[in-house]
Amino acid sequence: MTAATRNQVLSLYMRVFRIARGWQSTLPQNTEGERQYIVREAQTLFRQNQQLTDTESIKKCIDECVARIEIGLHYRNPYPRPIHLPIMGLATQKGRKLKAQQRMRKQANPVYLQSHDEDS
Amino acid sequence: TARDGDRARQRALCVRQLARSSARFSSGNIAVRAAAAPVLSNLRPFSFVASSQRTRWIEQTRITSSVGVFCRQYSDLPPLTLETIQQRVMYVLKLYDKINPEKLATSSHFMKDLGLDSLDQVEIIMAMEDEFGFEIPDGEAEKLMSPQEIVHYIADKNDVYE
Repeated sequence: MTAATRNQVLSLYMRVFRIARGWQSTLPQNTEGERQYIVREAQTLFRQNQQLTDTESIKKCIDECVARIEIGLHYRNPYPRPIHLPIMGLATQKGRKLKAQQRMRKQANPVYLQSHDEDS
Repeated sequence: TARDGDRARQRALCVRQLARSSARFSSGNIAVRAAAAPVLSNLRPFSFVASSQRTRWIEQTRITSSVGVFCRQYSDLPPLTLETIQQRVMYVLKLYDKINPEKLATSSHFMKDLGLDSLDQVEIIMAMEDEFGFEIPDGEAEKLMSPQEIVHYIADKNDVYE
């Protein structure tokens, strides 16, 4: 983790907090809840990825953060957009199909959902 | 919140001071003084003081005796002093849940003494921005590593004489 990435990460963190401070939701009764959600989400995800050391994954996380900020600001919706499973469907527990499935799912995962665990 | 209560109390102090001074300087009628002391009912004792001062003032000089010399009431927060800045900074830090209030001192370093990391330090700086109402840019926010430094920085920014 270099000094440049560290500065970048910290300024992104600050940026998210500033966004949360001035956040106005589309429905006024949701504003406070969404602000707290933004703060909480930033805290959990940043702490979860705090220990990463290789530049590749750090860059991926930075991209994820920027993507979520941009998408959230554009659609006025801080929650990440869930995606559908790819067309292959769910496999049985055994066999090569499972591995292929997992690979495909991993590939289909968009950049802004990288830090979230897969539920399936 | 407690912070809003503090601010409201400070504003009430200012309004009271302004009401007192305006009542002294304007020889207006009771309507002016009533306008100067709008909602707070505990300002009533001041009106007695002000009326005695008013009569004294009128004997000395005759300013305009016409109806309702309305004086503008500007409200602002009271001027910052080093002690108030320090108190507020320590108060905000005590409210932060990752800091142990017993271990907190003015010169305690966030990372070395209190065991916080840089993300926590960013959160603390955000809380200070919220408290004092002005933005702290990113490059300088990184260097503030103890309450003493924060107090100095805010005093610099707000021109508080030491």
